[in-house]
Amino acid sequence: MRLTRRQFLGCTAAAVPLGRWRFGRHSAAVETTSKWVLLDPGPHCRLRESVSGYEAALGARLLRADAQSSPSCNVLIVPAAFEIPPAAVRAIAKCLQAGGKVILESGAWFASEAEFRAHRRVLRDALDVYVEAPVPLWRPAEPGIPYVDFTWPFPTKIRDFSRVVPLASQAGEVIARVGGVPAALRRRTGRGTLVFLGSPLGPALWAGDVEARRWLEAVGGRTQGNAA
Amino acid sequence: MKKSIGDNMIPKEWGLEKGLELVKRAGYDGIELWLGDMPWFQMSTADADVRELRRKIESAGLVVSNVSTGLHWRSPVSARDPQVRAQATRIVEREIETAALLGADAVLVVAGLVTEEVPYNEVYQRSVEALKALGQTAARANVRIGCENCNSEQRFLLSPREFSQFLNDVNSPAVGLHLDVGNIHDTGFPEQWIELLGSRITRVHVKDVLRHRGRCGDQSVYTNLLLGDNNWPAIRAALTKVGYDGWLVAEMEARYRYAPDQQFFDTAQAMDRLIAGRL
Repeated sequence: MRLTRRQFLGCTAAAVPLGRWRFGRHSAAVETTSKWVLLDPGPHCRLRESVSGYEAALGARLLRADAQSSPSCNVLIVPAAFEIPPAAVRAIAKCLQAGGKVILESGAWFASEAEFRAHRRVLRDALDVYVEAPVPLWRPAEPGIPYVDFTWPFPTKIRDFSRVVPLASQAGEVIARVGGVPAALRRRTGRGTLVFLGSPLGPALWAGDVEARRWLEAVGGRTQGNAA
Repeated sequence: MKKSIGDNMIPKEWGLEKGLELVKRAGYDGIELWLGDMPWFQMSTADADVRELRRKIESAGLVVSNVSTGLHWRSPVSARDPQVRAQATRIVEREIETAALLGADAVLVVAGLVTEEVPYNEVYQRSVEALKALGQTAARANVRIGCENCNSEQRFLLSPREFSQFLNDVNSPAVGLHLDVGNIHDTGFPEQWIELLGSRITRVHVKDVLRHRGRCGDQSVYTNLLLGDNNWPAIRAALTKVGYDGWLVAEMEARYRYAPDQQFFDTAQAMDRLIAGRL
């Protein structure tokens, strides 16, 4: 089954009153507090080390789930996603409906042209996210500055990953750039917030990057109480 | 200890048979085969051809000391691109498969490559993960993987303690150190590496180095055995101390402008003196 963009947007918009009705303000806050869920893309994950990175950073606080179970959560992490099956789209929508945050990492950095077209299509049709073809950040004989500059939730530098999937012009706030290229996006969707990463966080987390871990904690922390 | 030399030292125009004859005549016991370097031993070489290669080597009165490769400089196990990593893994697997076919029990791997682009911690994590899995493959084939210390070129695992920690993290008896005593001059002393990692050494590459050239110039730091700055008496003593009695493998740069075969003889004689401790 395929969820269209229209269905996805309708679903998240309708979720606002539904969410209040079902959980109420207080219980919703309780339900979503300190809950991290990693949606394991399984064979759709292009970089297992990204999964390992989030697991290493969050340890026992992280619940690993598949798209079918889609437990409610405060922050839903979708690492190195390449194809995003309908069940995963529904889990993302559910989290956003409930006022949570979704961290969605593109997994298309090293994709072929045909593979990337499929990736771009699913992001556009199912999640209303518009991306450009991956850009290599390192060229021979051109010394690079190996950092992605984040501006939200606080200014910080996190290691690049050799390539970036740039964000096209669209609704939402660009929260990170690398070499002037928009590399991450934050957008209010329904009651929740979608954070799309065109440059992955997982490998930096796996390598023990302190700033990457701080960034992740800050994104999660802000969800508690008042989502921003 | 036994003496071996790389097949990539054989002048390309000589061909395998003439090369093997020279290696035997110069006094070596075995030959190190470099996967991907010479036409007779490529990734595409079929099993039947590998068996035929073994037959020729044994007919020449030699054995295969180990399988090595330089292919990981282009396809490191630490690459960010999963497809490159898959290729790197396949290279090691092929080394293991061919080692078993050739009757050898050791392969060389350049485990991880730190660059400006791919930083140390990432390389470390990926290399440990890759070697854990490959260690199981090697153990099943009764082969040991020796991770070579290419200290300056890899910019990775620069001290013996760090290398020891790396092997602890890999935690496989089938994964050890392929020690190159000619690669340590910028960062330490080979005899100390031998002392710290003795039981984990799978093979020893020998060559000599000229420290004063350093790494930043345009001239090679390598030279023939006993011509450079390695402290060979100390290296020999350390090998005795840790009880290393395995293969010494000459990894030389072909430096002879004339009579290239002479380098095989000179190297073999220097190795004999090293083994005998006549230094």
